[in-house]
Amino acid sequence: MKRREFLIGAAACATAGSVMAGGVSAQESAARARIVIAGAGAAGLSLAARLRRQMPNATIILIDAKKEHHFQPGFTLVATGLWSPADVTERNADYVPRGVEWIEQAVAEFDPDAKAVVTAAGQRVAYDFLFVATGLMLDYRAIAGMDLSLIGKEGIASIYAGPAQAAASAAAIDRFIETGGVGLFGRPAGEMKCAGAPLKVTFVTDDKARRKDRRGAVKLIYNAHNPAVFAVPPVHDKVKTLFAERDIAVNYSHVLKAIDPGAKRATYATPKGDVTLDYDFIHVVPPMRAPDAVRNSPLPWRQGPLAADGWVEADKATLRHPRYPEVFAVGDIAGVPRGKTAASVKWQVPVVADNLVDETAGRTPQKTYNGYTSCPMVTAVGKAMLIEFDYDGKLIPSFPFIPPLEELWVSWLIEEKGLKGAYRAMLRGRA
Amino acid sequence: MSDFNPVTLFFILYESMGVWLWLLLGLALVLLVGIVTSVLRLRRAGRPVKRPVIAALVVGLIATVAATFAVPAWTLAGPGALSAAIDYAFAFLFALVPGAAVAALVFMMAARRCVSRGAATV
Repeated sequence: MKRREFLIGAAACATAGSVMAGGVSAQESAARARIVIAGAGAAGLSLAARLRRQMPNATIILIDAKKEHHFQPGFTLVATGLWSPADVTERNADYVPRGVEWIEQAVAEFDPDAKAVVTAAGQRVAYDFLFVATGLMLDYRAIAGMDLSLIGKEGIASIYAGPAQAAASAAAIDRFIETGGVGLFGRPAGEMKCAGAPLKVTFVTDDKARRKDRRGAVKLIYNAHNPAVFAVPPVHDKVKTLFAERDIAVNYSHVLKAIDPGAKRATYATPKGDVTLDYDFIHVVPPMRAPDAVRNSPLPWRQGPLAADGWVEADKATLRHPRYPEVFAVGDIAGVPRGKTAASVKWQVPVVADNLVDETAGRTPQKTYNGYTSCPMVTAVGKAMLIEFDYDGKLIPSFPFIPPLEELWVSWLIEEKGLKGAYRAMLRGRA
Repeated sequence: MSDFNPVTLFFILYESMGVWLWLLLGLALVLLVGIVTSVLRLRRAGRPVKRPVIAALVVGLIATVAATFAVPAWTLAGPGALSAAIDYAFAFLFALVPGAAVAALVFMMAARRCVSRGAATV
């Protein structure tokens, strides 16, 4: 190799190396702020990674008792029987960035007036800036007769509770297809994470029954909580069409309020009063609300549709608390319309991180979150629709060459092979 | 889409594949060195590169087409999952990875044969 070629090659490698080391390009702030992140889920870890790099002089404290980290977007694939619980279970310790202090306790109390949080062990942690990223609470007990321990038994499935429950749900689906009967699906009335998952489970059950030549033995009914199966009109129209083609019946404005596991009967609240349906299989999606520590604090909305479940009050564009400007809400706990998916976190975190960096560096924060929410809607094993939308319900595809309302293998490819890597890169603040 | 710059894509690939990414890159490097070495050998022996190239392209294309229909299985789906043109296009792109590896191997083997035949005739 000639000397000139060697030098050109070496320079190219050095440039590539420096770009790799830098990762996502971003501004920095030299501020010595004390930053507390409550919650080490997708939002908390991703935020910690970005702030650690962008604010080298800041003290960053992460508070969460949870040691396991779950790749929740993969729960649907566990429930399909394609992935195992191990495929979606990792350790938080592997993602906590160096230079970030991790207090391995739950947050028990938020005291925004004193700019402090109190842990379950009574440790008081003061902050200059607080990021509330606690995630949400699955309120199974709000459904009379329902309990977490019932998942996988008596024809009851629920993929939200965790990897083990998602796997138990997969087994329950298989048993239902073998024995036949009536399968009920649905979702709660309030805000929820991954609102597409209840539809995915319905589609997957239909697909698995067809593959086993047992579709004639099962009757599938989707109970929508309001007059639509999905909040985004074009997606509603598409899913309604697919349900009709696949002989999946739909009841509108049916909200599950009680189940009787022994008698296999489910009671739904409807505008015309309670309705009871017999089932052989039911996929229970619990009401979701803010954890008690948030709910009992001054942080939640005090009025409006997001107040009842305790979601943290936040400006929907900046995710900043209007009454406590040093507080931000990120991820599932944020009291904004839509945005309770991992894909939403991917877009929320750079907004709050970059805005804080700009503000502490004396620049004007300019980034805004548009409500980006994504749902790779699995419609069969090997097929999905890559649905992405904003606060206005406008479809905003990331890839112009992938039509969002078409059932495609390439969208399934993203779900099955692409998301986990992107999610891990997001946790490290690299995507 | 603008968010998917090469750096972000590298990190996503790295997080998806882990150590396999480096093994794959290492294999690509070995094959590249093999191709360059084969070309140099052919030149030194005064043999044309045309025949090894044609052999590599034909076998590589066959391997790529065959792999295109096997790609869905890698995603735990059946070949029937491919339906739209975009599905086939992406499956073909992924199949190019094993296809290119096969083509590189065929090129090296064909070049070696050409060189040894040339030596035998001299």
